[in-house]
Amino acid sequence: MALELNKLTARIDEMGQVMAQRQAKHLELSSEARALLKANPAVTEELLAKIELAREQDAWRRGAVPLGEALVEPRTPEGLHTRVTLIAADGSQIFPDSDGISPYYLLNIGSIVLRRGSGQAPTVGSAPEIFFTDKEVYDDANELRTAEYVGIQRQRREIEALADLAEQERRELGGDLSQTILAMTDGPLLPWIRQDMNDSEAMAREIEFTAQQLERLHQARAIPVGYIDNPNSAYVLRLLELIRMKPETINRETLRAYHYQHLTDRAIFDDLQPNERTAVFTVHTDANRRYEALTNDRIAFVYANMARTKNEPVMARLEVPSWVAEDPRELDKAQAAIFANCEPEGYPYVLARAHELAVVSANERARLEEMLLGFMLQSGILPEMSPKARNKLLTGGRQWR
Amino acid sequence: MSDDKIRLWRVLRSSTTAFSVGCPRPQDTDGESLPEFGALVKVVRANGDIIYGLIHDVRIEDDAFVRQLVAAAVDEPEIIEDQRQKRQVPIEVSVLAVGHGRDLDVYHRLPPQPPGALDDVILCNAAEMVRFSERQDWLRIVLAAPNVSAEQLIGAALRRTALSRPPDQRNAYLVGAGRELARLLADDLVRLDGILRQLRL
Repeated sequence: MALELNKLTARIDEMGQVMAQRQAKHLELSSEARALLKANPAVTEELLAKIELAREQDAWRRGAVPLGEALVEPRTPEGLHTRVTLIAADGSQIFPDSDGISPYYLLNIGSIVLRRGSGQAPTVGSAPEIFFTDKEVYDDANELRTAEYVGIQRQRREIEALADLAEQERRELGGDLSQTILAMTDGPLLPWIRQDMNDSEAMAREIEFTAQQLERLHQARAIPVGYIDNPNSAYVLRLLELIRMKPETINRETLRAYHYQHLTDRAIFDDLQPNERTAVFTVHTDANRRYEALTNDRIAFVYANMARTKNEPVMARLEVPSWVAEDPRELDKAQAAIFANCEPEGYPYVLARAHELAVVSANERARLEEMLLGFMLQSGILPEMSPKARNKLLTGGRQWR
Repeated sequence: MSDDKIRLWRVLRSSTTAFSVGCPRPQDTDGESLPEFGALVKVVRANGDIIYGLIHDVRIEDDAFVRQLVAAAVDEPEIIEDQRQKRQVPIEVSVLAVGHGRDLDVYHRLPPQPPGALDDVILCNAAEMVRFSERQDWLRIVLAAPNVSAEQLIGAALRRTALSRPPDQRNAYLVGAGRELARLLADDLVRLDGILRQLRL
């Protein structure tokens, strides 16, 4: 046994105390933030001016911008369209491993098309791709592709798969627009891009690609939804920070002295009733700014409670393009269908299945590498793992077979 | 009984006495024949050797996802059909090795070598079942097999092999099999009675 737990006992005890203190502080801050929101439910000219000021002072990254006239505007969709097609795509990957037997990476995209009300089994599929040529696995500096690069390739395929499937579904419906098509991804709609990413052209390419796929979904009259389970975002809290501040005190320093540190927006919206959502916001991020510059559209979001029972909220952030968010009935259709699909409670079935279809287990990876090993030997190549990788196999829990 | 050769799936693991087969889904949705208790199957090895076996158990494994759906009493028909038809729920078919052979020759004894992993497993057609069951020495292997419901398996297998014959030959075939069983179980009449009661078509 490598982990000698007896040596950690004292620190674990201390950890428990720190956690209790943190919890108490969070409860206090949550209560304060909820009271502040309750006391300031309207979107005032003053607030909008503060947002502009914050943007000028410090770019004011990751702050929520209200799209309606109120910050507090809970809404529950009425009824549910029985005939709804829910499409979901999710991906998984094997990252390039510099210590492995051969440089390669793998992407696997799982997808599901569930036609609610049809009584039929959904259409499911998975699309694995393996990348191994020099051009595929090495970048321009001849370095092995990073996890971030592979992640971006995965995101591209997920959103593209959604657009492909939505177009196909609309065609199969004979262009019938009465049937709602929902296209869901597990996570944000726009690609996650590091703020410090220095390749501006690469960022632009990814946003442009995503924008194209969202436009394809728009043309297919499908509703794209990015579903973020248990969100850790604090976009609305950043907005509340501005409410607390006087305009003359808003500057780079005060904006970064974050009062609601470590708190998330879940803390202020946990009083939402089952199937109820918040007001609609957009978020001020670099990716959204670039997307808006390209399309004149913005990605908007709401928080919604996906729990079936009261007092046990299961919060999700639903991201949609503005062309969906601007029409509350479209958003109602999407939310109602997602809520109904949260079987078992709390998480959409289609996303769980898309993930299951995509995921590459350790056992599957081992079999793939075993197959690769066999073909290498047949081709007269004696594969050689690095001593580090070999020792990891010997000492770690990972089974080669 | 269809004469078509139908691949059930592939061998997962094997020994000379038994092997396990993976099967993609529990329900017949695409017109495929699915594994049934007592069915005779064969594995044709690359060297031409044939290994015969009887399906003695079909097991549908559960998993956390299924348990969660059951516990939550989910009744959305699309979700139920997805689970039944599309999910890769592990279905494991256990097969008892009861003979081997080559071309038209059949021997009722354990094969010299087990099937290989990922070998195709094929449901035997009527002609193969008749050929296999011309003699009844395989009954001895089933009766001696541990961890197998031998009486039930013999009953099911004999009914199937009888039905693979022309109607006018079925009764005579079952009477002959009954005689062989009476010889093998002469000192265990209760067990014999249990099997004979199952032979009615």
